[in-house]
Amino acid sequence: MATVKTLIYLIVYPGLLFLFLYSTFVEWYDRKLYARLQNRMGPTHTGRFGLLQPIADFFKLMAKEDIVPDRADRKMFSTLPAVGLAIVFTAMLLLPVWNYSLDQPSVTSFNGDLIVLLYLLSLPTFIFFLAGWSSTNLFSTIGGARVLTMLFGYEVPLFLAVLSPAVLANSWRLAEIAAFYRQRPALTLVNLLGFVIALICVQAKLERTPFDIPHAETEIVGGTFTEYSGKKLALFRLMMDAEMVVAAGLLATVFLGGFPGGALLGLVNFIVKTLVVIFFLSLIRATTSRIRVDQVVSFAWKYLAPLAILQLLIVILVKGLIS
Amino acid sequence: MNDQILIDQAKARLGEKVLEITNPAPRRIFIRVKVDDLLAAVGWLKNELGFTHLATISGVDLGQAFELLYHFANNFTCVTLRTDIARDNPLLPSICEIIPGAVLYERELQDMFGIVVQNIPDGRPLVLPDDWPAGNYPLRKDWKYERPPEVIPGGKK
Amino acid sequence: MKFQIPIGPQHPALKEPISLRMTVEGEIIRDADLRLGYNHRGLEKLAEQKTWIQNIYLTERICGICSHSHTTCYVQGVEKLMELEPPRRGLYIRTLVAELERVHSHLLWLGVAGHEAGFDSFFMYTWRDREIVMDILETISGNRVHYGINTIGGVRRDLDEQQVKHILDSLAILRQRSEYYQHLGTNEPSFVARLAGVGYLSREDAIALCAVGPTLRASGVPMDVRKDDPYAVYAEVPFEVCTADTCDVLGRTVVRIKELFQCYNIIEYLLKNLPSGPVAVRAPRRAKPNEVVSRYEAPRGENIHYIKSNGTDKPERLKVRAPTLGNYAATLKMLKNGFIADVPLIFAAIDPCICCAERAVSLVDARSGQEKIISMNALKQLSRQVAAGNARKREAEWPL
Repeated sequence: MATVKTLIYLIVYPGLLFLFLYSTFVEWYDRKLYARLQNRMGPTHTGRFGLLQPIADFFKLMAKEDIVPDRADRKMFSTLPAVGLAIVFTAMLLLPVWNYSLDQPSVTSFNGDLIVLLYLLSLPTFIFFLAGWSSTNLFSTIGGARVLTMLFGYEVPLFLAVLSPAVLANSWRLAEIAAFYRQRPALTLVNLLGFVIALICVQAKLERTPFDIPHAETEIVGGTFTEYSGKKLALFRLMMDAEMVVAAGLLATVFLGGFPGGALLGLVNFIVKTLVVIFFLSLIRATTSRIRVDQVVSFAWKYLAPLAILQLLIVILVKGLIS
Repeated sequence: MNDQILIDQAKARLGEKVLEITNPAPRRIFIRVKVDDLLAAVGWLKNELGFTHLATISGVDLGQAFELLYHFANNFTCVTLRTDIARDNPLLPSICEIIPGAVLYERELQDMFGIVVQNIPDGRPLVLPDDWPAGNYPLRKDWKYERPPEVIPGGKK
Repeated sequence: MKFQIPIGPQHPALKEPISLRMTVEGEIIRDADLRLGYNHRGLEKLAEQKTWIQNIYLTERICGICSHSHTTCYVQGVEKLMELEPPRRGLYIRTLVAELERVHSHLLWLGVAGHEAGFDSFFMYTWRDREIVMDILETISGNRVHYGINTIGGVRRDLDEQQVKHILDSLAILRQRSEYYQHLGTNEPSFVARLAGVGYLSREDAIALCAVGPTLRASGVPMDVRKDDPYAVYAEVPFEVCTADTCDVLGRTVVRIKELFQCYNIIEYLLKNLPSGPVAVRAPRRAKPNEVVSRYEAPRGENIHYIKSNGTDKPERLKVRAPTLGNYAATLKMLKNGFIADVPLIFAAIDPCICCAERAVSLVDARSGQEKIISMNALKQLSRQVAAGNARKREAEWPL
């Protein structure tokens, strides 16, 4: 029984199949919302309300010709998309969605899984950098350098912002943090500042406007993905969508009280909460313009990092008060 | 500053260098100078009258000579300096020393008329392709364009 | 580490082919070079073989966005050569179309600036409202891009009461929307952060490099052909020359938005004071030998045509200087010591309209770093050689 459950957990929900379908849905949601905010229609044609458009795009890309540049490091160039996708799907398993129990730490829910998840979310950034670097294209190289430059900006504020709720909950385990805030809902308000910081940092991590600098098409063509085409590009795009789901799930767990209620209610909770987070991400995307890479770094260190430290201070004070 | 004052000044300051002045319409003044006096005339226009804006340089193939027209403008009027150079020895001094913005127009003249602009800061071709056959200057009146026969790859011989 | 980045001839930031070659150190541009000619159509040569009337439609096709500018510039020059006096109603309609064109061009530019800065929402909004102007132009002339309204001696179509009312109604919407864009373009923090201080062009440089139009005016030089050398009916229309003194892309945005409001005022004035009478006079087929310099303030700056006639029904010489060419020297100056990220913005800020040509490709050999130039024919042969070596994919099956 346990084996079957684990298999379902890995392959159906919340693993491969669910994540694939849900990421395509999230892409549709993001595109539609972005389009409506811009006075456009967004996808309408494939499926009802264009719901199947991302899936159609995915399969279309899978069927396209796959080109590897002569000068590129062939092995690295080809394995990166698959490795990146694997990393993101692994990160998904760590979210306390269904198969966890509070009193009995298991393989995917253990003390310290918050840290592991954060590091798993950092890895795609390095994948993007390596992808840009190994394709040897000028534009990709610049894109790769920009990915790393941005990483130095947003990574520290993101870690600080996500860790402060954990400090308050006195646990490094996602499930316990979520349970802590479900018991004391008023305390979520303490982390409001951290939530805003984390939202901005996640936007930067996902490389969406105003932080879509590594693949700013009007400056450096496709950036890191200039040389990617066909299946590899499809996998990269899926990876970015899945990363958005996982990052939104992380924020929902840490700041919004997680996803209680077993398989079905937990699923509803998961969908509603991640969509709320993604709504904010889309809103930022629609209302801002792309900034320069030096502006990202100075913005992150001038505003985000000090604010994140302020948040940590608040949390420590509150912790002293309630204990 | 109106046109008449400008014409008087031109006569006073440039004296014999001015070969001809016409004023066919309000705010349009054409001054003809010799090519040797061109730099002096441009310098006078810019430094003393404040004509800093060179609108463009037009070249015309007159058959025996090339006529060059330097269109200057300021907030009041539009002055055109006109000069001739011989067709068989088309040498022209560059005015980029005085007006740096003229370089693109001079490069265009080199491409289109085969005029040799002396002391040009950057004499590379501007609009013609890099593999353009030498000695072909499209805007000369004797140049005719012949469309090369189109070959369809894999088509009928 | 220095290396060269090619922007163009094909690049997502460029709507037309031009080659910008940047030497960069990290993210900073140390040197910039420009290569024109990808779009050269030999139009000046062609014009010598066409009649005066045919040339109207030829000059109209110099550019898709400022098509009316080039025809007006050409037509008013030819009218001087033929000693024609177009009727006042015709001149009013010509000016009206010119101002509407300026509105549509500036709205288009705002959208492009938004897109180049990665602010796609701004782009979508301005382009939606640009449709209103396009509709007005379509009602007046029957066309959206090449209006074909000018003819030698006047205009080809008249306005009626209903059209006037339609334009005035639409104008109210446009005015309201432009106020919103003015607010957005100068207040949205991330957008302003991208525009302010970018592409600095001092007043002295702008003058020395012969910049034109909004680029020049944003450097604080109040030069506008409509004011300095009034053509058509601008001498009797009240309007102001808009300038800014920030000398950067933000200034160029502000100048263009301010000009939008001036345009609305001009259009309103023209419609309210539209004289009655015919719209065109009959033009002769030939022009006496003469020459004329015709200037026009296109949305992008000063447009100048030099026309020389020789007594036949064809021009002896037609020289066209589009505003963009005048701004290139200034652009190279602005690009130096900027960031790569600012290239599209700086380049777009002059509102480039590229109409010049060549058929060569310059390739940088990645192995040796040496640049070599390959002609179109050699390139075709090369591609055929490579294609001959590959296995045929004709029998490949659809993978799904």
